[in-house]
Amino acid sequence: MTGEPSPASAGKRTTLNARVERLFDHATDTRSLFLSLASGKHLRFIPGQFISITIPLGDETRSRPYSIASDPENRGPFEICFNRVEGGRGVAWLFERRVGDTFDFSGPFGAFTIDRAPEAELCFIAEGTAIAPIRPMLKRALASSPAPKIHLIYAAPDHEHILYAAELNALARTADFSYETAIKPPEQIYDALFALAQARWVTRDANRTRHFYICGVGKGVIRLRDLLRGAGYERRSVHYEQW
Amino acid sequence: MAKLRIQFENGDPEKVIEFDPAKAPFHHDGKPGSILDVMLGHGVHLEHACGGNCACTTCHVIVKQGFNKLGESSEQEEDLLDKAPGLTPTSRLGCQAVIEDPDAEIVIVVPRYTINQVSEAAEE
Repeated sequence: MTGEPSPASAGKRTTLNARVERLFDHATDTRSLFLSLASGKHLRFIPGQFISITIPLGDETRSRPYSIASDPENRGPFEICFNRVEGGRGVAWLFERRVGDTFDFSGPFGAFTIDRAPEAELCFIAEGTAIAPIRPMLKRALASSPAPKIHLIYAAPDHEHILYAAELNALARTADFSYETAIKPPEQIYDALFALAQARWVTRDANRTRHFYICGVGKGVIRLRDLLRGAGYERRSVHYEQW
Repeated sequence: MAKLRIQFENGDPEKVIEFDPAKAPFHHDGKPGSILDVMLGHGVHLEHACGGNCACTTCHVIVKQGFNKLGESSEQEEDLLDKAPGLTPTSRLGCQAVIEDPDAEIVIVVPRYTINQVSEAAEE
């Protein structure tokens, strides 16, 4: 799946061209784009990876990363998910894309991935759109044989921003997977995630064999990393991606 | 003036940038005054798929001279470097390695490979 890495130091990155096949609004400020390759081929990626979209801003272009929210096994269009942020010009440009539009990107990139699930209890922590890389990782882990026990803690400011809730509910009914949500104002989200992680995986028992995958925005991700590593979990068992 | 000499493992011609660290930032990606910031601000390409936010390893560089002149790496940078192909004891992420010393002479090598599956290999 990982394939041969390609030259990085060439002057220009190799780009692919994507076509917007479909839009889906999770909420007024949160959208998914479903993309196909203009070549008609299928994008290969590992669950958790992102693409780097070339975004024109005035006279220049910038590359901005967007996690792939769909499964690599899905042969249809792949999905990216994003939300409006104050001053976020790149994401504002993405919100202006319509079905049929095309744009360039490179990738997939990233080492915050699960290609094969570890043989240990697996714990995911996410907030808002940071569920995007977690979603395919979760599914890949559940498809492993034997699938590990999996738990997800997922926080958002309201129920509307708990993305893929119906899918998560369905998974929780059919697999060894459980999840819990924390609905908190934005400024309290990481305090809530910290308290839940501490209660579930630090103070409840002495098991330190779990593996963690944390994704979110800002320093709260680092607080969670430090909580878990400080509690005795192996450094390389605590994976994180800070946006 | 600080000096950044850039060698490319793929055989591209060497580049030399002379700059005043006090004038950072030179670009909008990476930490101000970082190797990535200096390179992009002087028209020299360095991959930075995550936008220079310490979330990938595509700006991995190997420091051949002046390693101790760079700002210290964070735990987050070290965690990412662990996953960089071709890791060396003097590897850094270009987006995080800041050059503050106005007299620094830094020599780096941009490795041939990174975790970058761009190319036809990304399509099937």
